Amino acid sequence: MTPLPRFLVRRFVHAVPLLLLVSVLVFLLIHAAPGGPLAIYLANPNVRPADIERLRRALGLDRPLWQQYWTWLWAFVQGDWGYSFSDGRPVAARIVERMPATFELVAVSLAGALVLTMPAGVGAAVARGRWIDRVVTTASMIGVAIPAFWFGLLLQMIFAVSLGWLPSSGRATPGGADAIDHLQHLVLPAAVLAIVLASGWSRFLRGSMIQTLAHPFIVATRARGLPPPRVVLRHALRNALGPLIALVTVDAALLVSGAVVTESVFAWPGLGSLFTEALARRDYTVLMALLMLSAAAVVVFNFLGDLAHAVIDPRVPAA
Amino acid sequence: MLPRRWFAVVVLVAVAVVSAGCRNRSRSGQPSNDLLIVGYDREPDTLNRFSTHILEDIQTCIVEGLTTTDEQMRVVPLLATEVPTIDNGGVRLRGDGGMDVIWKLQPGVTWHDGTPFTSADVKFTVDAINGPEYNPESTDGFDRISSVDTPDRLTAVVHYREIYAPYDIQFIRGALPRHILQGRDIDRAQDYNRNPLGTGPYHVVEWKSGEYILLERVAHYWRGDGYPKIRRLLFKFIPNTNTRINQLKNGEVHVVALAPWDKYREMTAVPSIVVAKTPGNAYEHVTLNERQFPPFADVRVRRALISALDREGYTRTILDGLAPVAHGPIQPVSWAYSDRIARYRFDPAKARALLDEAGWKVGGDGIRARNGQRLAFTLITQAGFAIRESVAQAIERQLRDVGVDVTVELHDGTAISAIWFEGRFEAMLHWWQMPSDPELTTFFAADRTPPAGRNINYFRDEALTQLLYASDRTVDRAARIQLLARAQAIIADAVPEIPLYSVTRLDAVPTTLVNFKGNPTNTGIFWNVHEWAIAR
Repeated sequence: MTPLPRFLVRRFVHAVPLLLLVSVLVFLLIHAAPGGPLAIYLANPNVRPADIERLRRALGLDRPLWQQYWTWLWAFVQGDWGYSFSDGRPVAARIVERMPATFELVAVSLAGALVLTMPAGVGAAVARGRWIDRVVTTASMIGVAIPAFWFGLLLQMIFAVSLGWLPSSGRATPGGADAIDHLQHLVLPAAVLAIVLASGWSRFLRGSMIQTLAHPFIVATRARGLPPPRVVLRHALRNALGPLIALVTVDAALLVSGAVVTESVFAWPGLGSLFTEALARRDYTVLMALLMLSAAAVVVFNFLGDLAHAVIDPRVPAA
Repeated sequence: MLPRRWFAVVVLVAVAVVSAGCRNRSRSGQPSNDLLIVGYDREPDTLNRFSTHILEDIQTCIVEGLTTTDEQMRVVPLLATEVPTIDNGGVRLRGDGGMDVIWKLQPGVTWHDGTPFTSADVKFTVDAINGPEYNPESTDGFDRISSVDTPDRLTAVVHYREIYAPYDIQFIRGALPRHILQGRDIDRAQDYNRNPLGTGPYHVVEWKSGEYILLERVAHYWRGDGYPKIRRLLFKFIPNTNTRINQLKNGEVHVVALAPWDKYREMTAVPSIVVAKTPGNAYEHVTLNERQFPPFADVRVRRALISALDREGYTRTILDGLAPVAHGPIQPVSWAYSDRIARYRFDPAKARALLDEAGWKVGGDGIRARNGQRLAFTLITQAGFAIRESVAQAIERQLRDVGVDVTVELHDGTAISAIWFEGRFEAMLHWWQMPSDPELTTFFAADRTPPAGRNINYFRDEALTQLLYASDRTVDRAARIQLLARAQAIIADAVPEIPLYSVTRLDAVPTTLVNFKGNPTNTGIFWNVHEWAIAR
């Protein structure tokens, strides 16, 4: 066995008990939330207690909690994710059909956020105390402080309602969707996510760059007469990126399981809006699958982040 | 200088992205007889009308009932030729205490696949709902049916074991197609549940999860090829209220059903939109749970509470004049409504006097107490409704003025349904949407406290209980009106709950839409969608 696969195997073996623990905690948490999948039926006065009992039995909610968990776990590990309590369709199908929308939004927003973060963070650090720094710092403070849903509505008001340049929500115009139409729908939600992410990241990168620029080895490279761009980009930035990568991977892992707020504001048909809907209806099977995917994404992205860090910084071992 | 060059790059990229996205976009299309777009707050769980637990607006366009309710809440025939009554011979009371209802079906009606719609479908529907395999949302009424006979293809005779007063809306949700569903697991019949076969003016073309449902008119609707007038209906799912209203302003949607009241002024400012106001059959009220908070069991306390609230003031200010004060559970739109009942004016002096009389004396903190117990309770309500939260605050303030301490607690909708069903709260601010038949029994009969019913006031009055059951067992409309008028008088006198206001339904529709009639019940505004048209 070559070292990398063995390392891979070890990482994923370690992840198994972690995911099991997460599944127990999450299962208990969502069952502890008041109301259940049947609560929504109770709003109709014509649904009588006998109906509720009948539905409870039909959905297997009358059994002890540990039994429900065990049944779910046993089926889940065999790839049977069960049926949605809300619409009766297979959970896997409901999740798979929402994945493309989320992945598309997240990929574009992450790329956008990185494009904004790099020059902003590096520029502010290099020009520390000068106007560029002050603009970047103020903008990122505002970006961090603004709630995403409010920012989203604000952009909608400006670009969709007042100017009429962009559609206010949705993923495509039903029926006649071409590539441009698709792109237009993507602009606002991706901009919200990218700006919110870049605000946090650029502050982080600025701090990390300032620290790195103060290291003796940077002074040494300058003393040797290297041109300033080379000092900043090749030597300082590479060293400053490590902590940022850790942050980006955690954010990315949370986003691929759904940008909950942004997706809801923009009626974006991804995993985030599926989660909101499942939570409101206490759709246990869908919630469990989404939360487990989210946990798995954190494991995988952490691993990818470690790999990326090792590639950039040779001092960091891949293990 | 490096930073400046980078800055330039950022600006360039931003400009490129925005200009690519903002290709001068013309405002979205106006509503037309080709396409009408409805902004809808939630995605349906299923389009099977018997399984769903949310409003059936979309289903109404596809699957038709034997009857429906019109804009004035009258029950009118749809797939039946007439509403059966005793007078027209459609209802027979049997000597054994049961009743038979004879449904005559419209001739010439076919399912969308061309198969004739017959009495066998009605019988199949009853058998499926009462059978052990299928799990519909509710079996209410169906469980009182012993059997269905089908003497011919257009006649269904439904035999009830006992008198069932709301028999006329028993089949308001239509029927299940026997030729498609017989012998199948209906709960899992996704082909039907996602794309139901109906007899209505529209059928499903596409259901894109999380995005929309697109309906298109059927080729030969049974009312004639002139109907429906609008070719396609698009229901877009937009859960966020602000986004939905933004889409309405932007012309990306043309209709918003059940629009929130706090958006009323915003919507009326849009020139292409008219906000239709339909007096509703729902009423907002405060439930007083006598079991959880025993001081509510004293009628003087309940009368004091209602007198301490300036309900006229709420409707004028918080509700912007959109809703009238309600005085009881049955609203003026209902055939059963009676105005010969006690009414309570805003009278804090009277409230204080009643509380004094009941032995609740003002303590040092300004709150009343009796035998060491403070007159303090928690009022729960659902979070996320701006108007309801404001009303809760007004109640808190005005009751404090007469020495009653109220703590407002907000819960999410799912949590509140469970709390409510189990009666685990002291007071609750919420509404009931009454069906067109005013079924008060489940809310007020003494033996219908949870889990047997929805009497979450835990109010017990024998005379009222007897009147309500008598009404349920009466088919004659005039006799029921008498019984329910007496029931309303008892309720108004005893104030088991505090009625606040009658809920007016707001629906934003294009000014060019003709034949829009609205609907006060859960039948929804699409009940006459086949007549809708866009005037050019």
